[in-house]
Amino acid sequence: MEHTKSKNYVVATDVGGTCTDAIVFAPGEPLYLGKALSTPPNFAEGVMNSIRSAADTMGLSFAELFARTSLFVHGSTVVDNTLLTRDGARTGLLTTEGFEDTLLITRGAYGRWGGLSEDGIKHPVATDRAAPLVPGDRIQGLPERVDYKGTVLRALDVEATEKAVRQLVEDKGVKALAVCFLWSFYNPSHEQAVRDVIERVAPGTYVSLSSDIAPVPGEYERTSTTVINAYAGNIAADYLNNLQELITAEGYSGPLLVMQGYGGLLPAKEAASRAVGLIECGPAAGVIGSRYLGQMMDDTDVIAADMGGTTFKVGVIQGGEFDYAREPMVDRFHYVAPKIEVISIGSGGGSIVSLDPRTKVPSVGPRSAGARPGPICYGQGGEEPTLTDVMILVGYMNPENFLGGSITLDIERARSIFKEKIADPLGLGVEEAAIGIFRIAAAQITDLIHEITVERGLDPRDFVLHAFGGSCPLVCGIFGAELNVKRIVIPYTASVNCAFGLVSADIVHEYSVTKTLPVPSSAEEINAIYQPMLAAAKAQLADEGFNKSGTAFEWSIDLRYGRQVHEVTTPVRGETPVSDASLTALVDDFEALYERKFGKGSAYRAAGIEMTMFRLTARGLMKRPEIEKLALGGKDASAAKTGRRRIFVEAAGELVESDIYDFELLTPGNEIIGPAVIHTPITTIVLQDKQTGLLDEFRNMVIHFT
Amino acid sequence: MDPITFSIIRHRLYRVIDEAVITLKHVSGSAITNEGHDLMVSLYRADGSLLMGGVGFLHHLTSAAEACKSIIRRFEGRVNEGDVFLTNCPYTAALHTSDVYLVAPIHYDGKLVAWSACFVHVYDIGAMVPGGFSPDSRDIFTEGFSSPGLKLVDQGEMNHDIMDTILNMVRAPEMVALDLSSMIAANNVARERTAALVHKYGPEAVDQACQMLVDQSEESFRERLQELPDGRWESRQYFDIEEETYCVLLAMTKKDDTLHFDFTGSSEQSKYGINCAYWATWGGFFAPLFPLLCYDITWNDGVLRPISMTAPEGTIVNCTRPAPISLATVGAIQSVNNAACTCISKMLSASEKYAKEATAIWHGSHFAIFMFGQNQKGQEAIGIMTETFGGAGGGRSFADGVDVGGEIPNPIGRMANVETTENHFPVRYLFRRATGDSGGPGEYRGGTGLEYAIQQHDAPDGGIHYVISGKGTKFSMSEGLGGGYPGAPCNYRWIHNNEAAAAGKNVNPFAISTDQMTGEQQSVSWGVYPLMDQDVLYVRSDGGGGYGDPLARAPDKLARDVRQGNVSEGVARNVYGVVLDAAGEADVAASEAARAAIRATRLNQEAAE
Repeated sequence: MEHTKSKNYVVATDVGGTCTDAIVFAPGEPLYLGKALSTPPNFAEGVMNSIRSAADTMGLSFAELFARTSLFVHGSTVVDNTLLTRDGARTGLLTTEGFEDTLLITRGAYGRWGGLSEDGIKHPVATDRAAPLVPGDRIQGLPERVDYKGTVLRALDVEATEKAVRQLVEDKGVKALAVCFLWSFYNPSHEQAVRDVIERVAPGTYVSLSSDIAPVPGEYERTSTTVINAYAGNIAADYLNNLQELITAEGYSGPLLVMQGYGGLLPAKEAASRAVGLIECGPAAGVIGSRYLGQMMDDTDVIAADMGGTTFKVGVIQGGEFDYAREPMVDRFHYVAPKIEVISIGSGGGSIVSLDPRTKVPSVGPRSAGARPGPICYGQGGEEPTLTDVMILVGYMNPENFLGGSITLDIERARSIFKEKIADPLGLGVEEAAIGIFRIAAAQITDLIHEITVERGLDPRDFVLHAFGGSCPLVCGIFGAELNVKRIVIPYTASVNCAFGLVSADIVHEYSVTKTLPVPSSAEEINAIYQPMLAAAKAQLADEGFNKSGTAFEWSIDLRYGRQVHEVTTPVRGETPVSDASLTALVDDFEALYERKFGKGSAYRAAGIEMTMFRLTARGLMKRPEIEKLALGGKDASAAKTGRRRIFVEAAGELVESDIYDFELLTPGNEIIGPAVIHTPITTIVLQDKQTGLLDEFRNMVIHFT
Repeated sequence: MDPITFSIIRHRLYRVIDEAVITLKHVSGSAITNEGHDLMVSLYRADGSLLMGGVGFLHHLTSAAEACKSIIRRFEGRVNEGDVFLTNCPYTAALHTSDVYLVAPIHYDGKLVAWSACFVHVYDIGAMVPGGFSPDSRDIFTEGFSSPGLKLVDQGEMNHDIMDTILNMVRAPEMVALDLSSMIAANNVARERTAALVHKYGPEAVDQACQMLVDQSEESFRERLQELPDGRWESRQYFDIEEETYCVLLAMTKKDDTLHFDFTGSSEQSKYGINCAYWATWGGFFAPLFPLLCYDITWNDGVLRPISMTAPEGTIVNCTRPAPISLATVGAIQSVNNAACTCISKMLSASEKYAKEATAIWHGSHFAIFMFGQNQKGQEAIGIMTETFGGAGGGRSFADGVDVGGEIPNPIGRMANVETTENHFPVRYLFRRATGDSGGPGEYRGGTGLEYAIQQHDAPDGGIHYVISGKGTKFSMSEGLGGGYPGAPCNYRWIHNNEAAAAGKNVNPFAISTDQMTGEQQSVSWGVYPLMDQDVLYVRSDGGGGYGDPLARAPDKLARDVRQGNVSEGVARNVYGVVLDAAGEADVAASEAARAAIRATRLNQEAAE
């Protein structure tokens, strides 16, 4: 791949549920940002609109921008959306005879309660499974059987396979087929034979094999993953092909790279065959963006928090690494694929504030007023108080100049409804009640971050907090202080963080082999497992145009204590191919990692240690955007001061007259002492008491505790 | 107390329990804890009363409260910061000896402010049979180690004499040690986090919030009871063990804002270990009560206050020591669950507002099969077949029961993958699937149950053994509601390979259904049996109960049921009165005629009676 042409812009677009963001990175120039509404189901339209919006800010035409672009990076919710709207292909499933119901019975109640809140779980009579993507009459069992060692006990019946394929395709009108047999990750030969049959008997049918898509133990999750992949496969492929055609038609001739849920990029062609990899790639890109911003600021330990209209999401980066989700779900379906761990609660600006009808105990979310009708103060017909209404009542928002004056906020209406529905029943004044609700929201966020840090053996005091999204910078001063984080950064790219993540990611191919070996095993045996993966990875990256110096190969091995269920993916930090010394170090690392993750005293050495999966991460290293540093000027921010207003100051427990600033008037090096409010074109930053905000050379707002 | 601080403290208490549960699962590596969620962690007030119950096996929420109270009584003046107590005596508080409670005081500033308690079903307890369920025990003395209370950790120091004594009495002591450490770790987390909460908000504020939490639950629950009609509802639950049949008889009376559970008339205590001691019965009806009546109310002592119970001594719902009790949790306690589920649902059905909360019985039998023996890795493997947690949902007033949908008393159970079990035990599944026609017929059908068959595979000893405590084979334990029929009964079969038999009579190693299974078949439901050589164990669990008259079920739903294999065409015609045409769609005219005929038969039957 050639990235060194004189005109080498990088265009990144991220399709979210509401908005599509664009970022254009041009060396030596500032970052250009673009935004447009997402346009389901034809997402490509919103993508093009967001690019046009960025091109406008650059004073370029569409064609001019594309002519200067050497790389196009993309993240999309197309697969999540396909599942949410049940819009995928008519799919069938071929599985081991006798186990046809595996997908439908979801390991018993697991599929009934999976993805429910605590309140939902406590009310079983009101719960149901999601309707399956493949109903029972489109599932066929085939005579075959492989055992736990991968030994064939019963050969695949090819004739029966042909018959089943014909029946599903011809009688049931199936367009996509998922194939998942027991133990196929040890012996994929039967699944591969089925693919041959399908290609012969029903050419053109979309096929997903579990041994390709998710070669890991656990037939329920593996089947579910393969079905999701088959169900959304064609839609993802068509979408990416369509996008490629659109940008080619506009004069773009470079590669299209697509973000994966594990935080790496894949060429569109490869991504198109692995739809399941696209799930939740937006939040993953957010974490990657945070990691890169952290690197630029010399912070390797970061809590990346994003709060928009409906949800608060948080991921953690430690030592530049992140965790993968253990039991990921999309909609209410389980799947298994490496996905960066990002946890969330239904708490955002649009979250509805309500009182328990019996006890009058207030709560925030998880219901949301969404974009329509939205908060009361937007004046679009919202009748239920939201967190945004609370934020205006505690003085954080400027009613006259919200989002650059694009919306005039109706504070009086927000006040009167909030009084009637919340403050009066609580027997509190409006301000007092609003302050209380705000504190509840902040406490819930604190509890969520506690869950992903302290409960996993991480100390928030070692971390820098990145606050993204339209709502986070209003609340972070409170929960950041309670968690005692090192400092808080509100990035300049806060509103387009996921797109920013796209331009700071590498091409990443993940390979794995499932095999159980005892510790110790010989280095030769382990290296032999890796040889085929390495050969495949090297060929793949060479094919994509990377020379040797532009690649990196990371080995990691899943280990567990004998007779224990928890596995820990442990990076091989010593030399590779492995030696006895690097294996010894690996086991030590595993033990330390295990105790950190599962708590002191959880290690159980008595039954030995096993290796269960061998992973290779192959990277094609992409050039990172180098953002120009601006010169730091004086501390005095008084030129940006626009007035004073009463705002909620936590330490005072009430609204206190404080300074209001305009972000656009600040210059790098300016320092603001809290309590204060800084209005930016996209959000509002609140500095609490004993907090100082510094605008750094990247125009990030860095909040220090004093 | 201001509602804001209260809301924040309440949320943090939830988080404390959640984190303790995660710790418990992390440290204990066992399948029953991690897959079956057969565990519980809860917080108790200084006097041992339930403050907040976590989502686990709900029978234990109240029993662990009793465990706290009994420890408070026994160790009066000897409860210190950093102590951890153990009790597993069913005549004191526990349900059976295998469910070990670890109870720990939480101090702040030297003062006792709360208790935490948790349990797991330990790997082994030294009973007659590995794993603890002992069908042949005739008294508690053969059911393993049992203690009314001892101090396992003394002010942060492990009492090794006690620990080693326990481990000396159990099989696979390293696994039991892990279970106990997991509970110590969970209590430690609960203690640290609760103390941090008290530190932040002050002991008075937290105490007030706890008081308010309990009072609110009581007020809310009493208010709900007031909304429901007064009345008396009865349920009679039978279950069969070997040649015996037992009955749990419940009359539930609701008056104003109180509820009384009267078990007078239940069978005398059994020679088998299916008996409940007092606290097992008390917990047994709370397990469905919490999710059915208090789904939106915090589960704590406030819910207990409006409730009273009569359980005559010497019966299977209040047995007298030393009656055997090791199978209580899969024995009489399930019938107590079921009786309470039915009585509560009948009461809910009598209210327009709450009728949607009523449900037929889910997974009434809760049978258990424990495997034990050498596995293919040469390890001593003991453990439950987690299909027990697969369950089957009961029909509801607005929807079918969830197929293989779990059970009410353990809202977040799940079963292991086939691949997980085949890797841990030397067995191979022949099939595992939802069973057609197993869901109780009704306007809203009961959820289907499971069926599976296993054979030994690669066992170093040529096989493995299992202990089965099956019930519900002669008649279904998953009763219907509102005219719904019961789910299909359970079935457990040992299929022998008869070498002497003629060709074709041998076990078919790739049978994918009962029709294809050859060999001699013998019903088994109680005791220890071999899974040696080519033996096959076939298990069919019960379906959920149906809701409403099956003749009222929408015909197109039956067309779908038949298409998906959940109901056979014969049952659709004969039980539901729905006839399908050649295309598999409901034939409206023929169905109306069939339904009229069934109604006429019913009237004649009644006339004849």
